[in-house]
Amino acid sequence: MSEIELRNVHKRFGSVEVLHDVSLSIEEGEFTVFVGPSGCGKSTLLRVIAGLEEVTGGQIFIDGRDMTDEEPADRGLAMVFQSYALYPHMSVADNMSFGLRMARRPKHEIAEKVARSAKILRLEELLDRKPAQLSGGQRQRVAIGRAIVRDPRVFLFDEPLSNLDAELRVQMRVEIAKLHKMLGNTMIYVTHDQTEALTLADRIVVLRAGRIEQVGAPLDLYADPDNAFVAGFIGSPRMNFLKATAKGGKRLAVGGIEVEVPIATDVGAGTEVQFGVRPEHFDAAHGIDLAMTADVIEQLGSTSYLYGTISTGEAIVAQRQPGRNRAGELATLRFDPANVRLFDADGLRIR
Amino acid sequence: MPGAGKRQKRALWIASIPMAVLALSCVYPVFFAINNALKSNKAYILDRLSLAYEPTLANFVQAWTRSHLNEYFINSVVVTVGAVLLLLFVSSISGFALACLRFPYRRLLFAIILASLMIPIQVVLVPFYRTVIALDLVNTRIGLIISYTAFFLPFSVYMMTAFYSGLPRELIEAARIDGARFSQVWWHVMLPLGRPALITLGILNTLYCWNDVLISLLVLQDQRTLMVGIAALRGEYTTNVPLLSAGLVLAAAPIVILYVFFQRQIVSGIAVGAVKG
Repeated sequence: MSEIELRNVHKRFGSVEVLHDVSLSIEEGEFTVFVGPSGCGKSTLLRVIAGLEEVTGGQIFIDGRDMTDEEPADRGLAMVFQSYALYPHMSVADNMSFGLRMARRPKHEIAEKVARSAKILRLEELLDRKPAQLSGGQRQRVAIGRAIVRDPRVFLFDEPLSNLDAELRVQMRVEIAKLHKMLGNTMIYVTHDQTEALTLADRIVVLRAGRIEQVGAPLDLYADPDNAFVAGFIGSPRMNFLKATAKGGKRLAVGGIEVEVPIATDVGAGTEVQFGVRPEHFDAAHGIDLAMTADVIEQLGSTSYLYGTISTGEAIVAQRQPGRNRAGELATLRFDPANVRLFDADGLRIR
Repeated sequence: MPGAGKRQKRALWIASIPMAVLALSCVYPVFFAINNALKSNKAYILDRLSLAYEPTLANFVQAWTRSHLNEYFINSVVVTVGAVLLLLFVSSISGFALACLRFPYRRLLFAIILASLMIPIQVVLVPFYRTVIALDLVNTRIGLIISYTAFFLPFSVYMMTAFYSGLPRELIEAARIDGARFSQVWWHVMLPLGRPALITLGILNTLYCWNDVLISLLVLQDQRTLMVGIAALRGEYTTNVPLLSAGLVLAAAPIVILYVFFQRQIVSGIAVGAVKG
């Protein structure tokens, strides 16, 4: 049985529809990541699950029970906020035990659970401090500790790492992944950072403008996107989209050359399609050559990125082994047609 | 100021002269009152500006006992403490509701409260008095406590709403997920976080209630509060200035003591209220 199930969830703020008919089921123990550009409704969807926002339509089931109209506290969830939302006037220990004190649990049980969570998150030394005396990473751990203490069925994370610096973010990301392995709870995590999504998730839900674009395992989304939006959103730098015209059968004219791509269905001659190739697929050992003029080359040490244009004037980004190309010179890119993804004029995948 | 140049020093000197005059004009009335409170009426009439050569506490004793300031003092304390506590309780709870909860006509309600800030007390004195009579609250301390609360509440609610609006919403949401009901959110989160604003309001409202004459005169006619009692020390034709001075010193003392005790909180309360803490 799925842990969380959303059935046709709608959410409207005044006349603005933020979530359009969202249906989704999340399995027990799964680490699900909601990802999408800002304003896509991913945080709203999380808040709807938490019970902090009422739905305009649809139903929410948690562990098989209809929780659509239940109070947040009765849903068996814990949430970690982007701003941490620690109570500034309480010590770390009081922050962590707040939920248990509200539930009037016995004192020895509270002390035991706080001690256990503090140990998991290495907060033992900090229990008497106030949030203002902690660093960003420590505050984040306290916020997670406050969630763990309550033994929730489901953890909700709302962009928990956005306020941390880059190095700490990587470190906390690993800690959250470890935590999920250790506790095995269902976790839902909201982020706009695709690296976080790809590294943490068992399953990614890509949202755009209040609609689910695709749900799948990280590598499935990367290798087999349903549409141009998902293809462009997952992967960094983003996929190159070139204009192509079908020449009949599986042949396409693109960037001044002709390519035959391995797709199952033929495309009618003269049809305009989008021809997608990821930057990292331009360094193939054999395949089709494409010439580009590199305007700027970013040297990252282990690899380099070429930014430039092809003969049709279309912008293109390619990832190459370092040191092979110079700025201002012609570079020959080589790609395997098997790595090409085609999309129709509406952005839907042509397989 | 370390490292200040010669010109800057001279500018500071020049600026300090009007400041000193201003400071003196604030301090002198206090000195005048204390000095004359220690004189006999005769010594005052002979020379009202001289120092008290033969200081006496007779004026204080007379003011405290024969002029009944001791009774009035109790009235003032009871009424002020009662009204301030009630004001803080009501304004904190309604500020929380107006700033953080969503209910219909919330903005309209806030606008009405703001509008009532603009109405001078004198305009509503007659309907206010009729209401107090109709509720049988004339000559009761509880009547005066309720009256003070009613008159000073709009500003207090406005200030608490503004303060709570500046707090991150996530704090309330976190508490709700942690299982706190609205009353618990208010008690465990909003009340302690509102401390700086509540202290500022407490001080301001204490001053208003303690120093009020008008409302007190209407509601507490037979018993009198301290300020009404002191106003009554002034005669129509003659005034015993040393006695009046003694009364004033007695009336101001509690407020001064309060300030000395809460000085740090008052100053930091005003600062924390102004800058996001």
